[in-house]
Amino acid sequence: MSEILEQIATCCERGKMNAGSPYPPDMRGQDGVDELVRKALDDGVDPNDILTQGLMVGMSNVGRKFSNNEVFVPDLLMAAKAMTAGMDHLKPAFDSGAATHKGVFVVGTVRGDLHDIGKNLVRMMMEGGGYEVVDLGVDVSPEQFVEAVKEHPGCVVGLSALLTTTMVNMEETVKQVKAIDEKAKVLVGGAPLTQEFADKIGADAYSPDPQGALDYLATAEA
Amino acid sequence: MTSIERMQRILARKPVDRIGLFEHFWGDTLSEWTAQGHIEAGTSLEDHFGFDIQNAWPFNMVARLDYEPEVVEETEETILTRDGNGALLRQHKQHDSTPEHVDFLVQDRAGWEEHIKPFLTPDPRRIARETYRDTRRLAAEKQRLFCWAGVNVFEMMHPVCGHEYMLMGMAMDPDWVKDMVATYAQLTLDLMDMLFEEEGLPDAIWFYEDMGFKGRPFVSLDMYREIIQPAHKATIEYAHARGLPVIMHSCGYVAPLVPGMIEAGVDCLQVIEVKAGMDLLELYRDYGDRLSFMGGMDVRTLYGNNRDTVRRELEAKIPVVKGNFGYTLHSDHSIPNQVSYETYRYFVDLGLSLGSYT
Repeated sequence: MSEILEQIATCCERGKMNAGSPYPPDMRGQDGVDELVRKALDDGVDPNDILTQGLMVGMSNVGRKFSNNEVFVPDLLMAAKAMTAGMDHLKPAFDSGAATHKGVFVVGTVRGDLHDIGKNLVRMMMEGGGYEVVDLGVDVSPEQFVEAVKEHPGCVVGLSALLTTTMVNMEETVKQVKAIDEKAKVLVGGAPLTQEFADKIGADAYSPDPQGALDYLATAEA
Repeated sequence: MTSIERMQRILARKPVDRIGLFEHFWGDTLSEWTAQGHIEAGTSLEDHFGFDIQNAWPFNMVARLDYEPEVVEETEETILTRDGNGALLRQHKQHDSTPEHVDFLVQDRAGWEEHIKPFLTPDPRRIARETYRDTRRLAAEKQRLFCWAGVNVFEMMHPVCGHEYMLMGMAMDPDWVKDMVATYAQLTLDLMDMLFEEEGLPDAIWFYEDMGFKGRPFVSLDMYREIIQPAHKATIEYAHARGLPVIMHSCGYVAPLVPGMIEAGVDCLQVIEVKAGMDLLELYRDYGDRLSFMGGMDVRTLYGNNRDTVRRELEAKIPVVKGNFGYTLHSDHSIPNQVSYETYRYFVDLGLSLGSYT
């Protein structure tokens, strides 16, 4: 990996957004993802390499540390913010086809549930994992998920729920999504969920943390 | 032994006749059990089940007291309002649920200084004196432990700026968040001074602080110590100086923060949410000499309304955690209406039987 891609990965992992950002304190005054991605593009680095060998490596590192309780939500949020600063520069490359996403990830909190922290963390990590994310928001009906799956054939679907009273709505969503695309991968997560529940409702995977969802997809795609 | 005597001793881990008893319920649980004829209309859950604690929530910490919540959008199922903290909230109309925080006027220090901080004054209108007075009198009549209950700083900040801005602020601009912490802590102490001077002290203080979610706390122990703990120390020292023990509630997985909470002076940890990863037996083993506990009984074991499942949960935990005389029976969150009255009754009866010392 080239030096600038390593720097991008490090800045993304540490949440160093740009030169003006005071975070992290030990990197004050240094260039961040914003400047480094701009520079890499100016130097002719392939946008796909910036994504896969820079931003995605940084997000994967911070995601793994988050899974291990070595870093916490503020660190993950800052990493995601830094990644977004880089992705803004890559947008023209995605628009022109010079860079491509790994796939589309449709995510939402299921019907009856208005909680979004867990869902947002997953969204950030999936963006950092190279997916184009379609965030349907909260209180999403099975029919809305089905519409999104029709609109984005081959997408991966992520369902979130915080409440024991709403997680039961996941089953109907899984059923309806699988009815229109039996190969569609459906991932579930949320505080009350277990692997046993995920198996029972026919979901393809359950993960207690966002990195686990990415790990599952990496394995499934291999 | 009266409830108040029992709970005061439980919070100090001194010998008692039985473990304590308290519970939280979803709003529609009482109405359903009442409609089914299990509880006489107008009878409180405290009276019906003989709870040892009575709480009153007398403080209103919203920034703009005079702000009439403005309805921005209403559908058949939800209602979207802007509240006095400048937050846009979506609430379900059909059932009880925590509202979705859609957007916030406060996203950084400037927003805080413009929209919130100037309004956080110790205005007497923030205090529901009658609620406090009536509940205090009722608790005394029933000889229950009377708790002043309310949120502490973590739970005061996120309704203003949301979890994401608050947590990013802790990283990007910790001095801003420390200013919010100090402001809310001081306001709490000023209001407590006003209330307690006029209406008398409670028997205990109960702070609600949801600092964790599934498998992890929102912040590291270091960040807790640097940013949040000063407020916990200040408010708990205030209580202890008046002889009041402190119960602290947190949903989610907060085990890594427990050493910091003990340093801050917490006397009892509540609610010990199993589905988030909290382990009552482990906590008892590690901190039972310094901390009382309330909760930690997996509420999911009640959902199936199967007595064997409930019995196994109670038998696995109560004989152990009653060992330090510091345990109060409570689910690990709250009781929804899918739990039948008979199941909860069984949970209480068997739990107290296992928790007897006589």
